[in-house]
Amino acid sequence: MIKHSVVPSVKARSKIEVVKVVRVVNFINRQAIVMLSSEKRSLIRFLIIYLSSTFVLFALGTYIFYNFQKHQIMDSQNDKLQLKSEHILQKLRELHQTFDQPLFYPNEPSFDSAIYNLDKAYIFGTFNPKKIAWDKEFYQDGEKLFYLYRMKPYYLGAVYLLVGQDLDKKPFEALVRMLVLFLIGAGVLLTLLGFFLGRLFTAPMRESIEMMDRFIEDTTHELNTPVSTILSNIELIDTLYECEGKTEMKRIEMASKTLSRLYEDLTFLKLNHNYHRKIEKLNLSNLLIERLAFYDTLIEAKAIKVVKDIAPDVFIEMDHNDAIRLLDNIFSNAIKYNYKSGRIEVTLTAGKLEIINDGEGIRKEDIRLIQSRFKRANSSEGGFGIGLDIIGQIAKRYNFKLEIISDTNQPTKVILSW
Amino acid sequence: MVNKFLILVLFATLVQSKEVPPLVQQNCLNCHMQQKIPSEFIYRRYLMKLSTKERIKEHLFSYLKNPEIANSIMPKQFFLKFPKKKALDLNDTLLEESIEAYLDYFDVKKKLRLKNHRTATTPK
Repeated sequence: MIKHSVVPSVKARSKIEVVKVVRVVNFINRQAIVMLSSEKRSLIRFLIIYLSSTFVLFALGTYIFYNFQKHQIMDSQNDKLQLKSEHILQKLRELHQTFDQPLFYPNEPSFDSAIYNLDKAYIFGTFNPKKIAWDKEFYQDGEKLFYLYRMKPYYLGAVYLLVGQDLDKKPFEALVRMLVLFLIGAGVLLTLLGFFLGRLFTAPMRESIEMMDRFIEDTTHELNTPVSTILSNIELIDTLYECEGKTEMKRIEMASKTLSRLYEDLTFLKLNHNYHRKIEKLNLSNLLIERLAFYDTLIEAKAIKVVKDIAPDVFIEMDHNDAIRLLDNIFSNAIKYNYKSGRIEVTLTAGKLEIINDGEGIRKEDIRLIQSRFKRANSSEGGFGIGLDIIGQIAKRYNFKLEIISDTNQPTKVILSW
Repeated sequence: MVNKFLILVLFATLVQSKEVPPLVQQNCLNCHMQQKIPSEFIYRRYLMKLSTKERIKEHLFSYLKNPEIANSIMPKQFFLKFPKKKALDLNDTLLEESIEAYLDYFDVKKKLRLKNHRTATTPK
């Protein structure tokens, strides 16, 4: 039997929803540049892959360039050392031929030098480093560069001339500064380019989604009036006339309710992100009974036995419409995929709702898959495969824990806890 | 200012021109001065060829024991101008001491100085 108290409320809500749909569509049309969430997701993924790979490539290129430039700078500073050593050598040669006293050792500003004999013993100099790499021509120790020149002939008995200079850090700092600026500039430019390319690549997807959305929007809009008309007329017929075809009437009512639920689901998906939610304290126990009553016709048609264990006055803070969508989709699935004369157990306690239904069950490996939109594990029943997606979205929005436990030929258990 | 600098240089020269050790004077320089053979030039030649004091000492000892042109580090032209040296009749100990004194007297390390270096004259 049609519950007279339920049908008008469905009709009224449907009208409100239609008004909301029109308002939101207008809003979306005005904001044509607003990015779709799937497009945003694709764009972010593209940007992450594109920017990270470009960054790795640039970082590698920059590293190679830095090393190349570093060697160039080092070579330039080593050249200076070498040139200075030639000056010092020239002066040592002059000194070797000088017999006046004292012999003033060549003193070059900013450079240190020392001479060593054949046994590598220190003779004289402006410095005397503790560690000398005798086997190297050029080397660096700490922040000092060294050039070791092997002399021939041995002026003043010196075989080794060691020239040292403080490492000039300025060119390195300038190089690093330049590379950082380059990386920042390139990063900004590539991000902009990536964003532009991403938008370009996702444009076909955006168009498809928009087209599909427009289609759903038009369909739902066109669906609302006839569904509402059918439901209200069934109610009128039932109230005013004694109809002989009660079974046929019930079938029409069931079909209309299925259409009505479909309309609500599609509207939910379309408006999910733009719908203004009114979070309120809901009596879930009452709502659960009310929604079960809404599905009475369908339950009766399949001769399903419903076992209710609903604790009174269980309250939950959520939007009324979201709560209806959540419960309707759980019940709808529990009825749709149930056996004829099957069983549904509904248990509500504070903080937990558990619905168990008989049926063919869902393969364990498919449980995760069916939670995606338009995915269905079983094509034997009609539908778009949006039910679990809606349940999942609502659960996620309110931080509910959603568990689906099932297996082939096993009852399906849906547990929501908060 | 200039006067002060000249006095300083003169003083430094006087301090550095230390007295010739008697052993060097007697066993080396007397003869060298008489024959006008440049002693310090020879020392520098040794230094340029052999670098270390030990090597010079060894070579000098062997040469003075057997002063042949082939054993000398001096160029052949040198012997056209200066006579070939006769073998010394000094005993080994005295010869070694004389060589040591000679090398010490002309040691170039003692003559090297630093001028206006940004770091201290004493090497690090």
